[in-house]
Amino acid sequence: MKCFHFTEMPYPYVAPEVEEEHRGLKYFMPNRYYDPARGYELYQRYLDEYELADELGFDLMVNEHHQSASTLHVSATLSAASVLGRTRHGRVLVLGTPLPHRESPVRVAEEIAYLDAISAGRINCGFVRGVQGETYPSNQNPVHNMDMFLEAHDLIKEAWTRHDVFSWEGRHYHYRYVSVWPRPYQQPHPPIWVSGTTRKLVEWTARNGYTLCNLLGTYEDTAKSFRLYRKTAVEAGLGEPSPDNFAYLAFCHVAPTEEQARRSGEQLMWYLKQGRLRLGAVSPPGYSSTAAAVAALRGKLGEVRKYSFERLVDEGIMLVGTPDTVTKQIQRLYDETGVGNLILMNHAGEMTSNEVRDSLCLFSQEVLPAIAPIGRQWRDDDTTWRVDNDTQPVETVLASALS
Amino acid sequence: MAEVNAGRARRLLFLHDADVVAGPVGALGELAATIEIEVPRHPGFGAADDELAEDWDSVADLAQYYLHKLDRDERQGEIHLAGAGFGAWIALEMAVRAPRRFATLVLVAPYGVKLFGPTDREFADILLLDPTEVVELGWADPAACRDLRMPGFPPGLDDGEYERAFADRESLARFAWKPFMHDPRLRRWLHVADVATLVVSGDRDRMVTPEHSRALAELLPRARYIEIPGAGHHPYLERPDEFVAAVAPFVDADRKIGAST
Repeated sequence: MKCFHFTEMPYPYVAPEVEEEHRGLKYFMPNRYYDPARGYELYQRYLDEYELADELGFDLMVNEHHQSASTLHVSATLSAASVLGRTRHGRVLVLGTPLPHRESPVRVAEEIAYLDAISAGRINCGFVRGVQGETYPSNQNPVHNMDMFLEAHDLIKEAWTRHDVFSWEGRHYHYRYVSVWPRPYQQPHPPIWVSGTTRKLVEWTARNGYTLCNLLGTYEDTAKSFRLYRKTAVEAGLGEPSPDNFAYLAFCHVAPTEEQARRSGEQLMWYLKQGRLRLGAVSPPGYSSTAAAVAALRGKLGEVRKYSFERLVDEGIMLVGTPDTVTKQIQRLYDETGVGNLILMNHAGEMTSNEVRDSLCLFSQEVLPAIAPIGRQWRDDDTTWRVDNDTQPVETVLASALS
Repeated sequence: MAEVNAGRARRLLFLHDADVVAGPVGALGELAATIEIEVPRHPGFGAADDELAEDWDSVADLAQYYLHKLDRDERQGEIHLAGAGFGAWIALEMAVRAPRRFATLVLVAPYGVKLFGPTDREFADILLLDPTEVVELGWADPAACRDLRMPGFPPGLDDGEYERAFADRESLARFAWKPFMHDPRLRRWLHVADVATLVVSGDRDRMVTPEHSRALAELLPRARYIEIPGAGHHPYLERPDEFVAAVAPFVDADRKIGAST
């Protein structure tokens, strides 16, 4: 099991009444509530934590969101460049670049290649569709989101692997001369990761052999999504996928006692605050199927936001407790889903840097060594998720998870 | 005799707005007593899986579709063109392409043409706002709201109805997401819309303001502008009598002028 440290780099200083007035922290929050001096301190603090995590043996993940006090990462590739400059060992997972929200796939190809080139190949390259609400900051048409994602991916891959000047006259992207410099250090290209739960995207990820990441899904939904991937990959003749083809993002906090862990860990729920986002932002027109849109209307999407702390622990979304407890939770996560990569959201909201650092240190001392062997001999493990043991049809997951 | 025949052959093609239910709603029912009215459902609207519009991405596609349909229609006689909101945008796109095709043009609170500066928000963001907000902006008296369908509105409908409302919004986004609810190319050609035009606005419309509709009328070569008091974005729904009183003589006057020439 590999573990990535992650913080969304939140800006936790927006007053509750301001948050209420603007229906949450995201997309429509006036930037007069951002204090440049406090922002600078936060950036340094978060980058220091990435540096410590790297020294302690974690890999690292960065992402991006837009016009949001819940995230100060504005570009996953810029954040990756910052983290690469502070670290020496860990892989840096860029999860991810929201392809449909970026104007130019060629720029994405260049930036990822640059990151990979300067770091001698420490990059894992995540591509995502972009979270629903960010359709408004990016102003890219949600109706074309999935098609743009697929076309941008095809173009980027061509740009990395063609090794010649080519033209691209597609549906959404037009270039007459493409030949990006540098080429990625890892050849033919860095490992590609994709997060999502929609059937079409999971099947596409499987057929391409990319790593599929589930964000904050329940054990059950995550397992379903991974089963769909495995079946698709096997049907496509790719052989049975290993745990390394799967990743899962969970909240995480460890402390010497359960009480202490819970006290700090409960603050991670800050991340789940939805605010009163309008339906138009939760489910922009055409971003999802009309059935999924109605589910959003009926409040059936992102149910995880409504879970209690206990429920979050029970569902495997909240890995919180003593090192022993958390080690067992991770073992269960592997047993139920067959995941081989864990992305740990070790920080959210108002948690102090000391709380994060104490947890990172304890986790690295006691949990990392204990879970390192999990999944290494996966072919010998007797699990429910092995393709031969899995005879049930796969139902579609209606995303208790968040995208 | 010829005049009677011409009279019988007159028809009004009314292009519907976003979020409005199908059919001859509000004042359109009354207008039907004086002229044959057709209210077609736009391709992509009213059904969750309308293959016809799958590749289309602009209102120009819809204008082209309707003009082509008229070309293939073998019925004789005058065609009067009208539209409301989004439908008025389509009508305007048709008028600049084929101004001679239409006896008159009636535009109710049209989207489609951006007139002011980049930071002036000229059209309410109906793709983001909640239904209650849309009703608040679009009606002089929100309690009188009728004949609208939006995701989750009116409350209490079944999933199928809301799926259709979402599908309609998806089509609207396909045609009008960016630039939002307008096409810069349309403004360049307004001067060629050489057709008797009536621009109608409700004086309480906050989705497309009366100031916007009036300024647009001034850019059209043969347009008159009228404002209906006590109406929001849908004067034909909120003030049907006043709407008929304004529109029927306009459409009729053109016939009399046409008959005498």
